[in-house]
Amino acid sequence: MAETLRNYIGGKWTVSDSKRVLDVQNPATGEAIARVPLSTAGEVRSAVAAAKAAFPAWRETPPLVRARYMFRLKALLEEHFEDLARTVTAEHGKIIDEARGEVRRAIENVEVAAGVPSLMMGYNAEDIAVGIDEDCVFQPIGVFACVAPFNFPAMVPFWFLPYAVACGDTYVVKPSEVCPMSQSRLFELLDAADLPPGVVNLVNGDKEAVDALLADPDVAGVSFVGSTPVGRYIHATAAAHGKRAQCQAGAKNALVVMPDAVIDRTVAAILTSAYGTAGQRCLAGSLVVAVGDVYEPLKAELVKAASRIKVGDGLDESTQMGPVVSKKSLDRILSYIEKGLAEGARLLLDGRKVKVEGYPKGYFVGPTLFDRVRPEMTIAREEIFGPVLGIVRVDTFDEAVATIEALPYGNAASLFTSSGKWAREFRYRVPCGNVGINVGIAAPIASFPFAGMKDSFFGDLHGQGRDAIQFFTDRKVVITRWF
Amino acid sequence: MELGTFGAILRSALDLESRAAAFYRAGARGDLEELFRRLAEGSEKRTKELERARREGVAEMILESISGLEADSYAVVLDPAADEEKRIEQGARFEEAAARFYRDAGAKMPIREIVRLFERLAKENGLRRERLTG
Repeated sequence: MAETLRNYIGGKWTVSDSKRVLDVQNPATGEAIARVPLSTAGEVRSAVAAAKAAFPAWRETPPLVRARYMFRLKALLEEHFEDLARTVTAEHGKIIDEARGEVRRAIENVEVAAGVPSLMMGYNAEDIAVGIDEDCVFQPIGVFACVAPFNFPAMVPFWFLPYAVACGDTYVVKPSEVCPMSQSRLFELLDAADLPPGVVNLVNGDKEAVDALLADPDVAGVSFVGSTPVGRYIHATAAAHGKRAQCQAGAKNALVVMPDAVIDRTVAAILTSAYGTAGQRCLAGSLVVAVGDVYEPLKAELVKAASRIKVGDGLDESTQMGPVVSKKSLDRILSYIEKGLAEGARLLLDGRKVKVEGYPKGYFVGPTLFDRVRPEMTIAREEIFGPVLGIVRVDTFDEAVATIEALPYGNAASLFTSSGKWAREFRYRVPCGNVGINVGIAAPIASFPFAGMKDSFFGDLHGQGRDAIQFFTDRKVVITRWF
Repeated sequence: MELGTFGAILRSALDLESRAAAFYRAGARGDLEELFRRLAEGSEKRTKELERARREGVAEMILESISGLEADSYAVVLDPAADEEKRIEQGARFEEAAARFYRDAGAKMPIREIVRLFERLAKENGLRRERLTG
């Protein structure tokens, strides 16, 4: 019988009272590998209460001492690296290399957060008036929470948690109910790092738990990563309850290819962007915008290279693309392929035909490529979150930029070119938070904010880096005169 | 089998080292005891270095597919039960193949630290071969 995951509240592993329980599936095999409780609002309250109780002593703990917990956590993460990566692949389906990359990114955030003694330093000025000095100090605020997505089950909570904890706040994580196992493993390591009880807490659950966090007056702020409708809801609800919120939402990322692009390198980058993690990344490119003459040769090379991608179980090292996360996702992706056909796009590569030997119950869909895609089509405007790539043909660079401007999202965009002039124009003009120049996945490293604009982000301060430090602290100004 | 991913190449390197360690351990007897024991220890150390490289070198931005590298091109039969002369011959052939693997794979790696590690391992394989045949 698959294990039932527990919550971690006040430094103790606790069994949920909830009668609502879901199976966690391995998407390559369709097998249940764990069971996740959908915790009650009362359990969320207990976690927040534990975090609140831990806050006064934790905020008084010197930043250097808090940083040492980060070093301890990093050592534990390195020690259990491979096990964590395999857990990510087992519950999500992404290939093991991508899972390793995800765990590495989680660790990078711990490494950056360990710099908190410097990152949290304030500033001051003497003699702002005669004999009067002014200081600005950064202070922790209280309890923060994270509502995490399924697509990066290990990494995303670590865009936030290490910074919050290093800054002296206390924390509650609500993992995705589809992929909750990685966070359970990570909390075993947080427990082993011996943080004081209540500093970090884990509550498994669904919307009921999220609503309880949003309504709880003791939660000072919420970080979210997921879809645009849910991001908008969480941002509005958090704001209505007087909380800070940073909500990273959906995306439709364009990859613009200029006629002077280096085709073989560009094709390799596009494939990784579109089909890596089976397209289930908020940074996944899902629209190629081919400018001018590059259209025909690019299309031919994309078909050739994409048809060679090996689809299979992510735990097999030779696999280049794993399954999508669930039957529900698979059905949604297949319906988008149907919609593309119905709206007149031409299918160059049909991922619906893929069969993976030995995995009859896996949620596999192969690399799918459309051409004759027009910007007004559903597959060109909506986030598919699967390995489906469409090619739009335009005549000029300006048309390519206009195509991006017309999208409701502003998460990421990339340009492939050999021209510095086009590169400069592109990074200057496109209304997207993460811009790649000859890079298909413009993923900011931990010391930079994970940006986003338009319907891809609700809030002002982003996850990671200095933004995270600001999100998890208040600035207090002290003006001093001595008589 | 084509080694088409970063992970597949690192897995293959780890398999090479693990096979080498097992062969030298099991073949460490008679006049070759000391030399084979040291070579086995060397492979075990190299395994740790490769594991660390796999952990730290992986970067999402450049996980692009790799082509033109076949695991079968580097296969060498190892039989620790063979007589002394054969064991040396097999070991030397293995070290030569491993050096070739690290040189070929290093040329396809997008991560500088791993390229440097593979170049060093290839050089070491040359030295290990010399110890066997010299």
